[in-house]
Amino acid sequence: MIQTLAGILMLGICVVAVARDDGVGRNTVGSFHGSSAGEISRFTGVKAAALPGLRPAQQVATGGATGAPVTFTRDIAPILFHSCAPCHRPREAAPFSLLSYGDAKTHARQIAAVTERRIMPPWLPAVDDPKFADDLRLSAEQIALLRTWVEQGTIEGDPADLPAKPQFVEGWQLGKPDVVVKASEPFELPAGGSDTYWNFVFRSPVDRAHWLKAIEIRPGDQRLVHHANVLVDRGQTARLQEKQPGAGFGGMELTIESEVFDPDSHFLFWKPGSSPYVEPDGMAIRLDKNTDLVLNTHLQPSGKPEMLQPTLGLYFTDKPATLHPILLQMENDRLLDIPPGDKDFHVDDDFTVPVDVELLAIYPHAHYLGKDLQAVATLPNGTKETLIHIARWDLNWQAVYRYTSPMTLPKGTTISMRFTYDNSADNIRNPNHPPQRVVAGNRASDEMAHLWLQVLPKDSAGAAVDPRAVIQEAMARHNLDKNPNDFEAHYNLAALLQGRGELGESTAHFALAVRIRPEDATANNALGAALLAAGRPAQSVPYLSVALKARPDYFDAHYNLGNALASQGDFAGAQVHFRAAVRLNPEDANAEANLGSALAETGDVREARSHYERALRLNPNLELARENLQQLDQEKSTTAPN
Amino acid sequence: MSGGTHTLPPDIGSLVRLVLAASLIFCTLLPSVGWSAEQASALDLSGLSVDPLKASPGKVVVLIFVRTDCPISNRYAPTIQRLSAQHPGKTAFWLVYPDRAESPEAIRKHERDFGYLLPALRDVQRTLVQQSHVQITPEAAVYDVHHRLVYHGRIDNLYEDFGRARSAATTHELEDAILAAIHGGSLAAESVPAVGCYIADLP
Repeated sequence: MIQTLAGILMLGICVVAVARDDGVGRNTVGSFHGSSAGEISRFTGVKAAALPGLRPAQQVATGGATGAPVTFTRDIAPILFHSCAPCHRPREAAPFSLLSYGDAKTHARQIAAVTERRIMPPWLPAVDDPKFADDLRLSAEQIALLRTWVEQGTIEGDPADLPAKPQFVEGWQLGKPDVVVKASEPFELPAGGSDTYWNFVFRSPVDRAHWLKAIEIRPGDQRLVHHANVLVDRGQTARLQEKQPGAGFGGMELTIESEVFDPDSHFLFWKPGSSPYVEPDGMAIRLDKNTDLVLNTHLQPSGKPEMLQPTLGLYFTDKPATLHPILLQMENDRLLDIPPGDKDFHVDDDFTVPVDVELLAIYPHAHYLGKDLQAVATLPNGTKETLIHIARWDLNWQAVYRYTSPMTLPKGTTISMRFTYDNSADNIRNPNHPPQRVVAGNRASDEMAHLWLQVLPKDSAGAAVDPRAVIQEAMARHNLDKNPNDFEAHYNLAALLQGRGELGESTAHFALAVRIRPEDATANNALGAALLAAGRPAQSVPYLSVALKARPDYFDAHYNLGNALASQGDFAGAQVHFRAAVRLNPEDANAEANLGSALAETGDVREARSHYERALRLNPNLELARENLQQLDQEKSTTAPN
Repeated sequence: MSGGTHTLPPDIGSLVRLVLAASLIFCTLLPSVGWSAEQASALDLSGLSVDPLKASPGKVVVLIFVRTDCPISNRYAPTIQRLSAQHPGKTAFWLVYPDRAESPEAIRKHERDFGYLLPALRDVQRTLVQQSHVQITPEAAVYDVHHRLVYHGRIDNLYEDFGRARSAATTHELEDAILAAIHGGSLAAESVPAVGCYIADLP
């Protein structure tokens, strides 16, 4: 990759260096901040996890079937200890414990009622789905036992029959984390009202790059939190939505921008009763310096004001990622225009995978009108396989479902998403009363039709092209077929094309992205950078200026505009933007070196030298800065009086 | 305060004075304390028997049956407190805790935590439960000014079932019942089943 520094070197004192680099002395600009093979992704991710501290369910005693009365100690306690106690215990998410006969007796009818209607334990997929890890469902026999126990008078039974109480790990489930970060400010959840969605931004939790094997999410008072997701924000863009640094911000969904091709690849999810998921060897998550973690939480009022200040525990590993899964997002939000009263509104999407993949996990997502959510794979041989079917969607219990064994989806498999919505008054969760037209959007009262799939491309190690990029490109083109005005698809496709050197088509898609969102800082910067790379600095300036108008502290745009102005001989203007870039990111050696070059061009040799020297302290291998500095020294020696 | 004609055992009398000194805020809400166990067996948090109907002459009496560990009941706290302030002087709200195991101290803490400013009763004999025909927490019972039971059931339809809540209630049965009791209107139903925790589960 050609260093951006070369862009400034041709402008006078370092022409020699450029000529050496490309052999023809052409102006070469590349690797622009914020545009190189970057991406924008939107995601609410999740991870299911094992129930902590318990063995698989015991064989249920069939007291009723043998004619003996059903007792707590013999028949009921094993069910409650295995399937309920992970949440129904002190300091956990559930509102009461179910660890003793007294606990169970005082909620006996409620237990029978909620299990009979399969409200508890919360588990959405239908029975005939593929096998998922951590399946919480009770068997029909277990449910019948609970009912019989209540009908027979909640008999305690022989204490000798009582199994050992489940043992749970207190505190951090995976032991002491390598790093613990706490939300800088608590969020006050009002006593009443409807559900609330709040995002906490954890700023740069590490000071150097690490591989993570797990992130343990401790959302605070677990009774208030329905679910939470962590998003890795490599571009630190989510924090821009905060009114004050550290304050967090509201919103059900959020968009994360990334400057490098590093697509979302892991579900980082918390739900009540879940323990943190430890990534398998080879699937660690990279966490760099200057990366934020964003915790997206779904909160439910308790009846009194509550303060919430989540913490995250980070667990490192020395085993870097060797397997690179990717999260596929299927969606068809554009079709979401649901008339009031419609009880059976359908949204579909069909995507054909361009490479062989293994499906590891799946996460369907809709809001309050969602009714029936399913996904089916049609293999190249015509075989159909259900990937998931949720016949009674409930946003409150959404989760990631991880297959017990990965499902192989050969190249050419078509994944079909089939979501149904109920916008009638019969849907008790309908946020509008009376029902109103509902379209796609990020608010809870809007709707979504999203299906996330975590897939691992097969045999990617020897592939000439990263199969994730092949999938991303296929997905972006698929999205543009559905919606030619899909901003994110244009942007992501442009970034992918730029990454493999197809600059013409790339620039065209960046331009289309800007046409769709004329004031978007990221897209304008990317288009400006692409034009700059194509040797059209004058055309790049208006876009980079728009980017800075939208986001005045945008390092990348300052850096690129500095280059664009310098390319046109406006060194004073370039200095302004390089100085801003250095102020915004004092650790960037290229910005320091380019500022040095711009200063040298205007004759400010002393300050130029200091910036070259600083650039070299930041990056001793920055050869062009070294050569420029040497050239300054030579000029000084040749012009010095004898 | 009425009830002064009763002769109190010295220890009870001092207890009453102590309660009055500590809880002036409740003076207007506790106009009458009946000392006769035959009249009512619900206890206030100082252990005295109270008949909330006799203690609220000329007012519509609203009993709200709650439990400290019932999440649905707790989520209604802001609604209950709001409704209690809607018709000052015309209604008397009482929180009724039917769980014998809930101590006065636990109930005081519960009231503090959830911002309740209402008098609380422990219905240890389930007298008020039976008299009001309630089965669930939270459930409301509304007595008109003649202290006839005119409504018992859910507060509103926020919850359709366990775990199935609307973003906001669309029917308001308790509010309607209070208005009907004050103004003499009729109700669509004298009882609507509530969703919550079963009182019969309690010891």
